[in-house]
Amino acid sequence: MTHIYGRAAAILLASTIAGQAVAQDTGVTVVLSEELDLVDPCMSSRSNIGRVVQQNVAETLTENFPEEGLQPRLATSWEDMGDGKWRFSLREGVTFHDGSAFTAGDVAHSIARTVGDQIVCENGAKFFGGMTLTTEVVDDLTIDITADPAQPILPLLMSTLTVVPSETPMDSFVDTPIGTGPYTFDEYAVGQHIKLSAFDGYWGDTPEVTDATYVFRSDSAVRTAMVQTGEADIAPNIALQDATNPEMDFSYPNSETVYLRLDHEIAPLDDVRVRKALNHAVDREAFIGTVLADGTLLATGMTPPSTLGYNDELEPFAYDPDQAKALLEEAAADGVPVDTEIKLVGRVNNWGNVLETMEALLQMFQDVGFNMELEMNEVATWDEYYSKPFADDRGPIIVASQHDNAKGDPVFSMYFKYNSEGLQSGIKDEKTDTLMAQATAATGDEREALWRELFTHLHEDVVADVMLFHMVGFSRVNPRLDFTPSIKTNSELQLAQISFK
Amino acid sequence: MKSFLQKRAVASAISLAGLIVLVFFLSRLTGDPTTLYLPVDASLESREQFRELHGLNDPLIVQFGSYLSDLARLDFGDSIRRSEPALDAVLRAFVWTLQLAVITMSLVTVMAIIVGSLAAFHVGGVFDRIATFFSLIGASAPDFWIAIVAIVLFSVNLGWVPTSGTGTVWHWVLPVAVLFIRPFGLILQVVRGSMITVLSSAYVKTARAKGVRNRAIIFVHGLRNAMLPVITVIGDQAAALLNGAVVVETVFGFPGVGKLMIDSILQRDFTVVLAAIFVTAVAIFIMNIIIDIIYAVLDPRIRY
Repeated sequence: MTHIYGRAAAILLASTIAGQAVAQDTGVTVVLSEELDLVDPCMSSRSNIGRVVQQNVAETLTENFPEEGLQPRLATSWEDMGDGKWRFSLREGVTFHDGSAFTAGDVAHSIARTVGDQIVCENGAKFFGGMTLTTEVVDDLTIDITADPAQPILPLLMSTLTVVPSETPMDSFVDTPIGTGPYTFDEYAVGQHIKLSAFDGYWGDTPEVTDATYVFRSDSAVRTAMVQTGEADIAPNIALQDATNPEMDFSYPNSETVYLRLDHEIAPLDDVRVRKALNHAVDREAFIGTVLADGTLLATGMTPPSTLGYNDELEPFAYDPDQAKALLEEAAADGVPVDTEIKLVGRVNNWGNVLETMEALLQMFQDVGFNMELEMNEVATWDEYYSKPFADDRGPIIVASQHDNAKGDPVFSMYFKYNSEGLQSGIKDEKTDTLMAQATAATGDEREALWRELFTHLHEDVVADVMLFHMVGFSRVNPRLDFTPSIKTNSELQLAQISFK
Repeated sequence: MKSFLQKRAVASAISLAGLIVLVFFLSRLTGDPTTLYLPVDASLESREQFRELHGLNDPLIVQFGSYLSDLARLDFGDSIRRSEPALDAVLRAFVWTLQLAVITMSLVTVMAIIVGSLAAFHVGGVFDRIATFFSLIGASAPDFWIAIVAIVLFSVNLGWVPTSGTGTVWHWVLPVAVLFIRPFGLILQVVRGSMITVLSSAYVKTARAKGVRNRAIIFVHGLRNAMLPVITVIGDQAAALLNGAVVVETVFGFPGVGKLMIDSILQRDFTVVLAAIFVTAVAIFIMNIIIDIIYAVLDPRIRY
């Protein structure tokens, strides 16, 4: 009997010790919505890869913050040398996780690898398309980077370029990334978890979080349950219907903008009155708190309000079905074929409740007299409508899309969406192209003013699209953490910014 | 038996070859995977570069020829999505699925045979009615709903087991339990029906008249003769599990082959789709052979 009591006491003691261990735990578990196919730092612009790798494992030369603007990271300063050349001074005393010193040669190698043609890096495809980058190593801690055509925002672009050691292969993705970040990439048990731990040789402040485990669950209800039970600490990107615990759930602008892209080349969408009628036909407020989350903002521009040059003074088109009908009648009287059937194209799973959103939009357009049909497609078919080259024999098409820009500058969006040559542009407008070129080349206040002017021009003069919503995202966070998700949580999750209560 | 196995192997190989040809061309009909792998903002140059790297610019017949020549060396090619050999990805996932299937089907078989046999012994009795009621519910309840309810009840509210994932034996409890329910209900009904027929046969009545004990009548004399249709259904259910328990793998975060296959189809990761079909087809072929052998063991009249 004594033996039994002894074992019971030992179990109780062990439980107590285990409880204390949990209370003092400085590790975190993050549950992501999908398993990572790749973990190479040059793919970090994919949301979930970025949440693991970006700034945790591999760092960038610069870092952009919505409030403070562009800040140094691995580069301490930068200078415009003219003719598209920028000189970056690099941080001293930085080492990679493999013990090698961080030098300008590593930056040159990282750039060559990201924009090279031996592997297709998403960071290169997304941020460095249409330009040629050349590098010149001045000394170990100084590098000149030249962009052709010249990129006045090259320092901002460098906030997307993750730096890896020069030994990193050019022709294959790495499965154990090495960087200079505050965490080393320790293990990827495919299908199960990824583990990071604090890097003793990190050049910056020692973070409170000592290690991190990433697990993958595609069902939002399971992710939220994991945080609820304490199995996980952070679940980014949970569904609206699962964000039910005000103590744990945070909503925040997620940098996504939903809009309807109009094809200005095909009648009746080539008539500005028809485009205005489309805008007046939509009761945007009716979506918020119903099929879309409370906190969703009405959009007047392609980028989130925190972006440089976003014009807060622009008013969304008022919901006015009578005016929409009047505009259509006026256009019809002038011979515009307003009764032509218009194809409204949506993409399945593009955002939560996308089908409900599209069906409501269709109904609103039909209510004011548009002849329209809805076609929902998976991404590849949808992209055939969305991206150029467009079909020559197409009819009038409206494409619903969601666009992400968490980088703080419209340049990452505007060329693709509105330049006459833009891959997804539905317009060809000389003034837009000119303003865009001027804004891209400008800096400081002038740049902000020019972007603002462009946003105004597109919204009021061109009536380029039917701008709809700036979306919000939801994340669940364990109350033991001192961490508030923000717009950046959409693309990265810096463990060093997390502390414990 | 040897000749039977050879014939089955040849027939299966022909079926498999046909399947691979069919899936190769059907999967290509779903379209170009480039848009799925690159951001929608990717330039035309990047898209072209991606297609060139993955051989997507070649004519379909050239792609097929290249695929066949690689396949002759059992090289299924690299996964576009994962940048690793497709077969490695499939085999890694298949091990998880195989474990899940073996554990679940072992439990299902034992439990369904015991409960089904006892239910058949007193048809219409309380035990039979309870077993029938719950087995019908189990056979018809949707996996997804059961899985979520089980997580809410046993993990969130009661805290007995982890919600999902792998790592300890406790992580297997909910996935196996959820997977158990449907085949258990189905096989139990087959065992019950088959046993009712057998127990009403003349030789069982004779055994009873001779005073043979009930346990021996059910599990020795009755069960062996009732097992042939049961084995067929068990094989069918096991084959379904070997193809992957997609819902359970998705909800519980189990890295099995079902989820891998669905993800690969959605992502147009053609090499992985073909490798997964090859591996599961071979596994099902082997399982069918085992079932044929079990038939022969259970019923001496069956000879190949």
